[in-house]
Amino acid sequence: MMSELEIRNLTKHYGETRVLHPVSLSVERGEFVTILGPSGCGKSTLLRILMGISEASGGEIHLAGKRLDLAPPEARDIAMVFQSYALFPHMSVAKNLGFGLKMKNVPKDERAKRIAHVVDICNLHGLLDRMPRQLSGGQQQRVALARAVVMQPSLLLFDEPLSNLDAKLRDSLRHDLVALHRRIGTTSLYVTHDQAEAMAMSDRIVVMNAGRIVEIGTPLELYRSPRHVFTAQFLGQTNLLTVEASGTGGRLPWGQVITLDRPATGTAQVSLRPENIAIIADENGVATVSSVAFLGATLFYTMEIGTLSLKVSQAGGVDPLSVGTRVSFDLAGPVHLLDHLPMAEAA
Amino acid sequence: MSVLHRHRSLQLLLLLTPGVGYLLFFFGTPLLSALVGSFQLEDGTFTLNWYQCIFTRASTLRGLSTSIYYGTMPVLLSLTLSVPLSLLLRRSFLGRKLFSGLYKLPLAVPGIIVGLMVIVVFERGGFFDRLLAPIGFTLPKLVRDDWGIGVILAGAWKQVPFMTLIITSAFAAIPEDIRHAARSLGASRLKTFLFVDIPLAMPGITAAILLTFIGSMSSFAIPDIVGPPTARPLSVLMVQEFKQGRFEQVYAMGMVLSLFAIIVLLAYYSLTSRIGHDSRKGEQS
Ligand SMILES: Nc1ncnc2c1ncn2[C@@H]1O[C@H](COP(=O)(O)OP(=O)(O)O)[C@@H](O)[C@H]1O
Ligand SMILES: [Mg+2]
Repeated sequence: MMSELEIRNLTKHYGETRVLHPVSLSVERGEFVTILGPSGCGKSTLLRILMGISEASGGEIHLAGKRLDLAPPEARDIAMVFQSYALFPHMSVAKNLGFGLKMKNVPKDERAKRIAHVVDICNLHGLLDRMPRQLSGGQQQRVALARAVVMQPSLLLFDEPLSNLDAKLRDSLRHDLVALHRRIGTTSLYVTHDQAEAMAMSDRIVVMNAGRIVEIGTPLELYRSPRHVFTAQFLGQTNLLTVEASGTGGRLPWGQVITLDRPATGTAQVSLRPENIAIIADENGVATVSSVAFLGATLFYTMEIGTLSLKVSQAGGVDPLSVGTRVSFDLAGPVHLLDHLPMAEAA
Repeated sequence: MSVLHRHRSLQLLLLLTPGVGYLLFFFGTPLLSALVGSFQLEDGTFTLNWYQCIFTRASTLRGLSTSIYYGTMPVLLSLTLSVPLSLLLRRSFLGRKLFSGLYKLPLAVPGIIVGLMVIVVFERGGFFDRLLAPIGFTLPKLVRDDWGIGVILAGAWKQVPFMTLIITSAFAAIPEDIRHAARSLGASRLKTFLFVDIPLAMPGITAAILLTFIGSMSSFAIPDIVGPPTARPLSVLMVQEFKQGRFEQVYAMGMVLSLFAIIVLLAYYSLTSRIGHDSRKGEQS
């Protein structure tokens, strides 16, 4: 069976510069998938090709079993929420919401019904007569969302829709978005460079870097057992260390012997999350605290072991250790071994 | 000094004097003296005679309608050329940079040269005529013809760059995302153009229309050289009167022409402010 959205070997280059190396991805019906990657890695390019604004240099796209990439944007049954909101500044909120339905020749009473419905689910009561410039950023983004949702498209695209909002608003809109997706169940592809956003919202995350898909997985999989160094570093904080492995045993640079979560031989790389290191003050410890940051819910330390420095985090309920304290530490559970893959083969 | 400190408005007035005074003196004074002159007989007594002449004599009435005709037609022609040209300039094509530099050239050419060029190129026995003669075509009468086709062509040739410049920047000011949003919501290229690009570029387009209208209504060189002798616009008639020393009549004609320009400008302001008001209030479909 074919997935709802199938992207096969999509490439894009501008002259000599390759912006997308062959990218393949399938999204199931009703899934919320996030494309996560640093700025400039080709996320927007991918969305623009899906929308039909930009032409792919190669590859195919299928949506709901039909070839998509040959149709013009207006015939694609895809709606998009833009980072800039892209509301029509010369139309009231009501007209913005009705524009797409009018273009698709939806009859007037059906139009009214669907607008009333999105006004309800996007909480736009009382804003219908306003012009876009009379709305706050959060309200504008809710209108942009409603304008896309009212189309009842097969696929919803989001290009960093929350990145122009302040932190608090971003959090609350993120929750609204998740609740909305649960309610309408539209297949969604969401682009962001914010790993916290990706972790909080997604069924699956597609990690992208430099025009390639690095790795795909659920937030839990990617956080706990990433295959690639890039993923380990991009999702949350981590300590990357080399070990001398033999079977499931490994020796850290300072001689400590640990258990690995998979067997390996020779030199290998592990990812050790800061929260999996437990430290206690110990005059005979091998490490020294070199910095402390109190972030409320967590305490964040760096500690030095010889020439290496490790990041450690701790629940913020205890009194912080002061800089210069000698500490010893325990590692919780087996340490995660990363794959030894060069970038190009990671996908 | 203490008087100045106590009266802020007086202080302000003094501060504004250099700027406002300059405007008042160099624009207001000539306009005022022309206005006063247009209501005076040679001996200084009040009269409406000069205005009466304009609105009763056949030649000046014809002049008024010709002025409006020469104001309107080149603008319409330029508009039908400038909008597609602006759209073309928005796309990227080979040689776009060169083209966008070249199309502005007519901006630098004075009206009188444009008029002479039209004569050289389009007059019977001129450049095109001689070019077409061997293959058995003759050019229709385009110079000093009854419909003023030559005037309209010359005027448009001069206006297209200016109009294109303004309309191009009006289109360029529309964010790309907004157009893309329209496309993804089911609007074809044409509908996106009609419902998104045009309304958003409208202030720029209207400004371009009005400015070129006022310019071409009061232009002298082109209609004088290329226009038919049967229909002379007010601007040309004014110069004729001037040469005969009837300054009061010239003033009155100038006032009528200015009044016309002012009415058009006021119409523009009320139109744009109403659009602004409408969009502020919003309307439901
Ligand atoms: N029109 C273009 N011409 C050349 N390079 C482009 C063009 N558009 C985008 N790029 C390049 O493509 C890369 C990916 O851009 P984009 O998809 O916008 O990244 P992201 O959305 O992940 O930040 C960037 O390096 C950018 O410079
Ligand atoms: Mg982007």
